[in-house]
Amino acid sequence: MPWYLYHALKQLFPSGRFFSFFSLVSIVGVMLGVCVLIIVQSVMNGFGENIRSRIVETEGDIRIRSNEVIYDWEEYFGKLQAKENVVAVSKYAEGIIMLQYKNRPQFPVVRGIDPWEDEQVVPLEKFITVGNIEQFDDEGIFLGEGLAHTLGAGPGAIVEVFTPLMLERLKKDEILLPREFKVLGLFRTGSPAVDGNTMISTLRVMQELYGLEDGVHGMVLRLRPGVEAFQYARELERDVLRPGLQAVSWLESNRDFLFVVEQEKRVISFILIFIILVASFSIAIALMMAVIRKTREIGLLVAMGARPRQVAYSFCFQGFVIGTLGTVFGILMALLCLRYRLPILTGYGKLTQNEVNFLGVYDVYEIPVHYLASDFITVTCFAIGISTLAGLLPAFRAARLKPADALRSE
Amino acid sequence: MSEPLIQAKRLTKSFLSGGKEISVLDGVDFSLAPGTSCSIRGESGSGKSTLLNVLSGLETVGEGELYWSGKKVSGLSLSALAAERAARIGFVFQAYYLAPELNSLENVLLAARIHRRIDSSVTDRAVQLLEKVGMGHRIKHSSTKLSGGERQRVAVARALINDPPVLLADEPTGNLDEATGEAVMELLLEMTADADKSLVLVTHNPIHAARTETQHMLHLGKLGQSVI
Repeated sequence: MPWYLYHALKQLFPSGRFFSFFSLVSIVGVMLGVCVLIIVQSVMNGFGENIRSRIVETEGDIRIRSNEVIYDWEEYFGKLQAKENVVAVSKYAEGIIMLQYKNRPQFPVVRGIDPWEDEQVVPLEKFITVGNIEQFDDEGIFLGEGLAHTLGAGPGAIVEVFTPLMLERLKKDEILLPREFKVLGLFRTGSPAVDGNTMISTLRVMQELYGLEDGVHGMVLRLRPGVEAFQYARELERDVLRPGLQAVSWLESNRDFLFVVEQEKRVISFILIFIILVASFSIAIALMMAVIRKTREIGLLVAMGARPRQVAYSFCFQGFVIGTLGTVFGILMALLCLRYRLPILTGYGKLTQNEVNFLGVYDVYEIPVHYLASDFITVTCFAIGISTLAGLLPAFRAARLKPADALRSE
Repeated sequence: MSEPLIQAKRLTKSFLSGGKEISVLDGVDFSLAPGTSCSIRGESGSGKSTLLNVLSGLETVGEGELYWSGKKVSGLSLSALAAERAARIGFVFQAYYLAPELNSLENVLLAARIHRRIDSSVTDRAVQLLEKVGMGHRIKHSSTKLSGGERQRVAVARALINDPPVLLADEPTGNLDEATGEAVMELLLEMTADADKSLVLVTHNPIHAARTETQHMLHLGKLGQSVI
C-alpha cells in the first residue's frame, strides 16, 4: 500500500483506537445525509410505484371511452380482442348513485362489470376480503371496505339505491321506489379513495339503473407486459377506433397525480442534498483543522522524503474514506429504518401524541417502499464525490506548505 | 579521497521581514566527509536551523552551490529534493515529531514506507533498531504514551531506518533534562559511529558539541571553526 494511503487510514483509525473523534463525527455526518436521502427517495418511489401498480390493477392499462353512451361497442370489442398486444377486454358502465342503509346515505361511484369478463382485466377476486365472487348476481353488490364501514352495512345487509334516472321519473310524478340489493361481500384495493367510495354491481344492473339499454360507458383493456400503454393507445385510436371513441392510457388519466408524486421526490431530494453538502463542509473543516494541527508533522513527512502531491493524496483519500464509510453505514441505516418503518412511525406517533394521518393524501394505508438501484448509485456517487472534493482544499493547503516553515510553525 | 556527502559553496540565504531583506547565511562553505561528525553552534537566531534546512534541501538555496555526494542539488525543486533526501539524510529534531496516531514501530516504519515499499526484512530491521536504542520493550506503545527521552530514542531509530549516510540532528537534547539528554547524545554518537554514518549536530551545548570531530560556530551568517 502506498505510504500516503497508509498514512490517511492511520489518521482516521489510529493505532490502539477504533476511530479518531474527528473521523467518527465526519462519518456520522455523511451517514445521516445518505440515510435520509435513501429513505426519502425509497418512500417516494414506494408512493409512486404503489399508485402506479394500483391504478393499472383497478383501472386496466387502457380505457376506451366516449362522451356519449357507446351502443356499437360489440364491433370494437371483437376488434380489440383480436389485437395481438391485447390480453383481455371488458366493458363497463359507471356513474354516481345514492346508496342508503338505515337512513344513512352515501353517494358512491357504482361500477357495473361483467365479473367473468372483467376478471381477466381487473382481478376483482384478488381484492375481495369478505364474500365470494361466485355468488355475484343481479341481486347482489360488493362494497368497498371504507364505504361499508361508513354506511355500517356488512355482508348480508340490504341496501337501497337511488339513481339519477329515478329523479327524472319523480319529475313526472311517478312513485319513487328505490332498488334493493344485498351486500354479497367487501373488497379492498389498497386505495382508500377507491375503497371508501366504490360499489360494484353487474353490468346488467348498472345498465338498468342508468337506462343504458345495451349501451356501455366504455371498455377496459389489459395489455401484454412490456407494451407501452401511451403509445399503444394512440395506435388504437388511429387504426381501430372510430372518431368519438378515445383510448386513454392509465398514465394519461392519472398524469397530474403521478407528476406531483415525481416532482415531490425531486424537490425533497434536492432539499436533502444540502444535508450532504453541510456534512461535506464539516469534513472540509475537520480536515483543514487536521492540516493546521499537524503542520509540523506534514513538514516532517516532507523531510523524510514525501512529495507534496503525496501529502495532498493523503488528505484527499481521507475525504474519500469518510465518504465511502459514511455512505455504506448510511445505506445500512436507511435499510434498517425502512425495514422497521411501521414500529418507528407508531413510536413517533405516540411520542408526539399525534396520529400520522398524511397517508390518505397519497391514497395508501401504510408507508410503501420501493428500492431503485439508480437511486443508490446516484446517492453513493454523490456522497463519495462530495466528500472527496471536501478533502481537496485541505489537501492543497498541505501540499503548499514549505517543509522548513512547517517544521518551524508553532 | 572520497567525495563529501554534503558540500556547500558560498551559500547565501535571506528572508524578507517587514519589507526588509535579512541575510541569515552569507557565503557559507561547508563540507561533510563520510563517517565524520561535526557540530554547529551559535547564538539563538543565528541561523543554525536555517543552515541545517538548506543543507538538507528543506529550504531552497539563495545563492551558491550545494552538492550531495558530488551531485549538484541547488536549483532543484522541493519535490525533486524530497525524493533525493529520503535515501541520503535522516533527521532527528528537538521536538521529536512522532505521529501520535502510530505506535513506536509504525513511526519508525513510516520513514521506510515513504522511501520504499516495506517487507518483513524492513520490519525486522525496525525492531532491531528499536531494541538497539533501548525501546525494544515499547514497540507497540502509542507514541503519545512515551516519555520525552523515549520519544527521542524512537526518533533516532526512525532516522536510521533507511540507512542514510548522513544524520542531521537539530538540538536533539533541547527538550530533555540533563541526564536524559546525555543518554540520548551518547546513543546518537554511538549509533552513528557503529554504522559509520556522518553526523551534523546543531546544538547550544558546548559539551555535546565537543564530542564531535569538527566544531563550527555560526556568527553573523558566517561559518567558522569553533574553539571550545
